[in-house]
Amino acid sequence: MLKGINASEGYGIGRVLVIKEHSLAFTPRTGCDPESELKRYSEAAEKFCAATERAAEQMSSTVGEKEAEILSGHIMMIRDPYLDSEVKKLISGGQCAESAIKAICDMFEAVFSSADDELTNQRAADVRDIRDEMLGILLGAQGTDVSAAPPDTVLVARELTPSMTAGISKKNIVGIVTESGSRTSHSAILARAMDIPAVLSVPDAAKLLADGDEIIVDGVEGKVFPSPTRSEKDAYAAKRTKYIEEKKALAEYIGRPTATADGVNLELFCNIGKPEDAARAVECDGEGVGLFRTEFLFMDRKNAPNEDEQFEAYKKAALIMKGKPVIIRTLDVGGDKDIPYLGLKKEENPFLGLRAIRYCLKNEDSYLAQLRALVRASAYGDIRIMLPLVTSLSELRRVKTLISGIMDEFKQKGVKFDRDIKVGVMIETPAAAIISDLLAREADFFSIGTNDLVQYTMVADRGNPDVAYLSSAYDPAVLRTIRQVIRSGRAAGIPVGMCGEAAADRRMIPLLIAFGLTEFSVSPTSVLAARREISKWSVEKAKELAHEIMTLKTEEDVRAALSKL
Amino acid sequence: MVSKKVTLVNAQGFHMRPANVFAAAMGKYPCDVTIKFNGNNVNAKSLMNIIASCIKCGSEVELVCDGPDEEKALAEAVALIESGLGE
Repeated sequence: MLKGINASEGYGIGRVLVIKEHSLAFTPRTGCDPESELKRYSEAAEKFCAATERAAEQMSSTVGEKEAEILSGHIMMIRDPYLDSEVKKLISGGQCAESAIKAICDMFEAVFSSADDELTNQRAADVRDIRDEMLGILLGAQGTDVSAAPPDTVLVARELTPSMTAGISKKNIVGIVTESGSRTSHSAILARAMDIPAVLSVPDAAKLLADGDEIIVDGVEGKVFPSPTRSEKDAYAAKRTKYIEEKKALAEYIGRPTATADGVNLELFCNIGKPEDAARAVECDGEGVGLFRTEFLFMDRKNAPNEDEQFEAYKKAALIMKGKPVIIRTLDVGGDKDIPYLGLKKEENPFLGLRAIRYCLKNEDSYLAQLRALVRASAYGDIRIMLPLVTSLSELRRVKTLISGIMDEFKQKGVKFDRDIKVGVMIETPAAAIISDLLAREADFFSIGTNDLVQYTMVADRGNPDVAYLSSAYDPAVLRTIRQVIRSGRAAGIPVGMCGEAAADRRMIPLLIAFGLTEFSVSPTSVLAARREISKWSVEKAKELAHEIMTLKTEEDVRAALSKL
Repeated sequence: MVSKKVTLVNAQGFHMRPANVFAAAMGKYPCDVTIKFNGNNVNAKSLMNIIASCIKCGSEVELVCDGPDEEKALAEAVALIESGLGE
């Protein structure tokens, strides 16, 4: 089994077709006749544009206008007046057309890939694609014709170029495996748009897999099974059938409002980690962002992102969501999440130690950078600030004081921001739940974080298999806590959401409806399933079920009763 | 020569699609069109130069048009950027 990035969901079972890279090696010539080389270059560019135009047309009918525009962009790139004049300059100096086009494309590739911006980095792949296509035309080399692939083909390539993907059709291609690429790369976007399972960044895939080999592509888990056994094939065939049926059933819920069977509208948001993921939330029909985990901005780097960097990230998410709510959780570090450069001390009990809001309030200078960035970004959308691991009202008050200080300064300086920016509490400790009536009077919203709430309520480490039986949101202790928090929020007239795994659990959903939860935040891939579950329950029926469940005395009894749903 | 400062409002900044729209629109004018950003002068008729300049959403840029039809070119450039470049 080979592991890669799960870039497009679904299961594909078929045979390998490795896209061979034709040799684009050539011997550079100098002292050429500029006139004939210019003619070769112009003719090659014409051919390139004509072929790309055809591919773009094909793609706009099979995939969509936006994807086709990437290919049209290649025509713009090769016709770019600056690129064109630079190539012609080199040719006029006596270089052959091949050397000139390679030199200029390599120059742009280097500029694009060294930029500190992921989208610009992705354009480097477009430049490589143009270079290779142009060299192929000039050298008379033929590429693999993907459109002629037999049915049930799994494409395997080092990198999927936009021009290659133009020939892909759902009729014959059942899976895609590449050696490079990420969830946001062109191949991934295209695979998702065409609904073809894809696993990217599988090391040496093109070398390890051979034409005609049987193969399974698991785009859900990001796994590839070369030469699968009989039982693996049977298991995956069954998974695929189930997946396709489920997908069809869920498609009915795209674009529908989230409402109970008796027409009570509820909010269905997404949990995200990076600003780009907001686009995924939109793609999956999420109605807002219910949890943006900002720790990801701090990870995999040598120092903390400064105010401006954070501002850009929050603003980006706000703009992508176009005025829909974006609940951003301030830095939740400590516990099991270490960020080496922050220099957190080793603690006896990290989960009971300097974590989340406690760490931030102890390091107010760096926390101010985050709060300032959030307040600034609020000018660009409906940004809401959420505080993790609150245990006392003083913590909420301190943060609100810091924020109003920032606002005073911004008012004086004329910096734009939303004066009504909402500040809410993530309810994930028993202390916060017990004083939820007090917190609700001063917080603008609650969001229940079930993962930590279960762990702290049950006093059971979620990573310890010996006490795993205690880690359950079905325990009466947890259910009563959740019910109490929602009651407190409703009594004070503030919205109460949930952003833990329980919000997407179809057995929890009716209980949450009955308790009065108004916002569910789930992973983007769970949006449609959660919407379907919500639509199945009327508030009255949900309340009947909740009434019965809340009379049960043990986790086992609750689990048994809910498992009948 | 005419110029004006504008702020980019489309979410992804000056990327493939928006840069393409902008460069194509500016290519129609005989005057020089330059985007001044971060101390660099970017040829606004060149998609490649615009992409390489990594201009992100929220950035303020100065548009400079110089030559025949400069007023018309500047008006269209400003309108395109303010409308979010068709995004």
